[in-house]
Amino acid sequence: MPYALTITHLYPDHLNLYGDTGNLIVLRRRCQWMGIDCTVKALTMGEMAQSGQTDLYFMGGGQDTDQAAVVNDFHQLKYEAIRADTEAGVLFLGVCGGYQLMGNTFLMGSGEETQGLGIINVNTRAPGTDVKQRCIGNLIVEITPATYAEMQTMYAAPRAIPRTLVGFENHSGQTYLGDRVEPLAKTIAGFGNNATAEYEGARYKNVFGSYMHGSLLPKNPHFADYLIGLALRRKYADTSLTLPTLADTEEFAAHESVIHRYG
Amino acid sequence: MNQLLLLPIVAFAKLLTLALRVSGRGSGTALPGYLVGRYFPFVLEALVSQIPVVVAITGTNGKTTSQTMLSAVFDQVPRAKVLRNKAGANLSQGILSELLKQSNAVGRLDFTHAVLEVEEATLPRIARLLKPNIIAVTNLYRDQLDAYGEIDRTEKLIRDGIAQCPTAAVVVNGDDPRTARLTQGMGNATYYMSLAPEYAKFLPYEGQLNRRDPSSQGLEATNIHINEDLTTDFSVQGHINDERVNLPQAKTVSPGFFHVYNALTAIAIANLLGIDGATAIAGLKTFKPAFGRGEILTRQQGDKQVNYRLLLVKNPASFSLSLELLRNIPALKLILAINDNTADGKDVSWLWDSELERLNHADIDWILCTGIRAKDMAVRLKYALDISHSPIPTDESIRQAIDLSFDKANTGDTVFVLPTYTAMLEFRKLMGKTLDVV
Repeated sequence: MPYALTITHLYPDHLNLYGDTGNLIVLRRRCQWMGIDCTVKALTMGEMAQSGQTDLYFMGGGQDTDQAAVVNDFHQLKYEAIRADTEAGVLFLGVCGGYQLMGNTFLMGSGEETQGLGIINVNTRAPGTDVKQRCIGNLIVEITPATYAEMQTMYAAPRAIPRTLVGFENHSGQTYLGDRVEPLAKTIAGFGNNATAEYEGARYKNVFGSYMHGSLLPKNPHFADYLIGLALRRKYADTSLTLPTLADTEEFAAHESVIHRYG
Repeated sequence: MNQLLLLPIVAFAKLLTLALRVSGRGSGTALPGYLVGRYFPFVLEALVSQIPVVVAITGTNGKTTSQTMLSAVFDQVPRAKVLRNKAGANLSQGILSELLKQSNAVGRLDFTHAVLEVEEATLPRIARLLKPNIIAVTNLYRDQLDAYGEIDRTEKLIRDGIAQCPTAAVVVNGDDPRTARLTQGMGNATYYMSLAPEYAKFLPYEGQLNRRDPSSQGLEATNIHINEDLTTDFSVQGHINDERVNLPQAKTVSPGFFHVYNALTAIAIANLLGIDGATAIAGLKTFKPAFGRGEILTRQQGDKQVNYRLLLVKNPASFSLSLELLRNIPALKLILAINDNTADGKDVSWLWDSELERLNHADIDWILCTGIRAKDMAVRLKYALDISHSPIPTDESIRQAIDLSFDKANTGDTVFVLPTYTAMLEFRKLMGKTLDVV
């Protein structure tokens, strides 16, 4: 049976900064190369979300004015359906501004804290007096052991995959994880969630947040496959489902080159 | 005013420039301007106010090219003596350094016009001092250098700059929604530069293409034809101050639609300054591309000669448009040279906003990725072109990429090179070209 996957891109018109659409380009192509029928749908301002219609949500970051508009729209038209989905294990990936926005509170450019979407228990605050600058630069992290162990089970044939994720961060907001939320990875080079914690990203059920641009998925194909695999396992209720191995020569060469140069 | 005060400061700056040159510590472009600007802030105004006509050109892409085109037009006007800042030296210290350098020992400037490229965020800081007669805004894109939610802010900065100059004429890109609305609610005479809609649709603007009010003043390019050598022929029509403009045979040697806007901007500014259309067209024909912007470098070894055509890529918009241009080149030979130094943007995410997919129906002979981030570029290409082109050759060393491409090419071939800023400088240097131009 050929597998199918539906991806929903949240607010593509408003949250479209920093090349984060690269993540969708990668998910779509990898599905195609693995023979998975992948549909990407846009869900934007003014549209009502319905639960049970998607396997993976993606949300990037936007300009402050756009992010503020998104929060209102989300609470009016989308919160209940998407919250029901994520509680039921549907995949959600938010990057940088999108990651901050997913939490309970997030920081506006003015330094003012506002209500977030509330689908993951993280809080993002304005940098205090101890943090003077933006967290900016190449970011190298090591995936937490539990997630890495599960990542290795995704392939039909065993393969060596890096323990690391690489990307580029650029944020002033400092993100702190609340109860029941695990970090995605431990910081090796760069900052991650905040200037002191030495952890990057967040995971709650299948909701993932990350500060990594680059884009995130192109140089971390093992993480892309992990998201695809988790989404398929949930959709088809088959925890032993596996993926074929793609030749990721270029992807891992780029991954290695970042570690070599900035590690 | 301040003429007596000016004297020792100008002398100091000139001595400093000389000292920097003699000691071999750079060409002395920025430091004198920086020091004088910091400790004697009145000097900029005292110097620039001696020049009767000041033109300020700002915007994300095309500042240098528009400035160079306008200078080429002025070269046709015998009585004009034009001062311009060096390409890229577009912050206040760069402009001030040039004014100091060009002034005589007592701080006198003998020029009829100043044509200055001004960095976007610098405009509101110095507009009040420059008092430009004309402000041109080429376009407004998110740049990879300040991509972080800043484009709304940049638009506001330019508005603030224009607001300080209520009598300035404003020349804007009339298709770009962000520049077309800049003078809304202000009294400035505004002139809109646009391409006929069938061409404008190829341009990736931030938002909906602006629909120009037919009664507005400005110029439109029609019958745009990009020739095989990438020179561009076009016709210009429109109205400036209710006088009809009709120039059927305009030409620019700079490749691509962007440069048609730059040419329109130069023609419109020339018109506003009393230079007739025929003179403007003649000037544009003598124009040589600013370095890295369509420039051709040749490597000769024995009987073999290979041409390298450089098209600088600064951000997703310029990258996408250069690729649009290359789509129709037969047997395309292409080098993508991506660095991640400060001047290039340290975050290469912008490669994913660039529409590499525009190469999908191109006639590709070969592609080679080079520069510090060659491997990132190869991944982007793999996903744009599907795996049929994998593996994509990469070599981080630009020197080796040049050698490799020279070996691959046949004599007489043209290799297209799309470099980021520092990759372009390195490429030119390796080809025996130095930085000092204009």
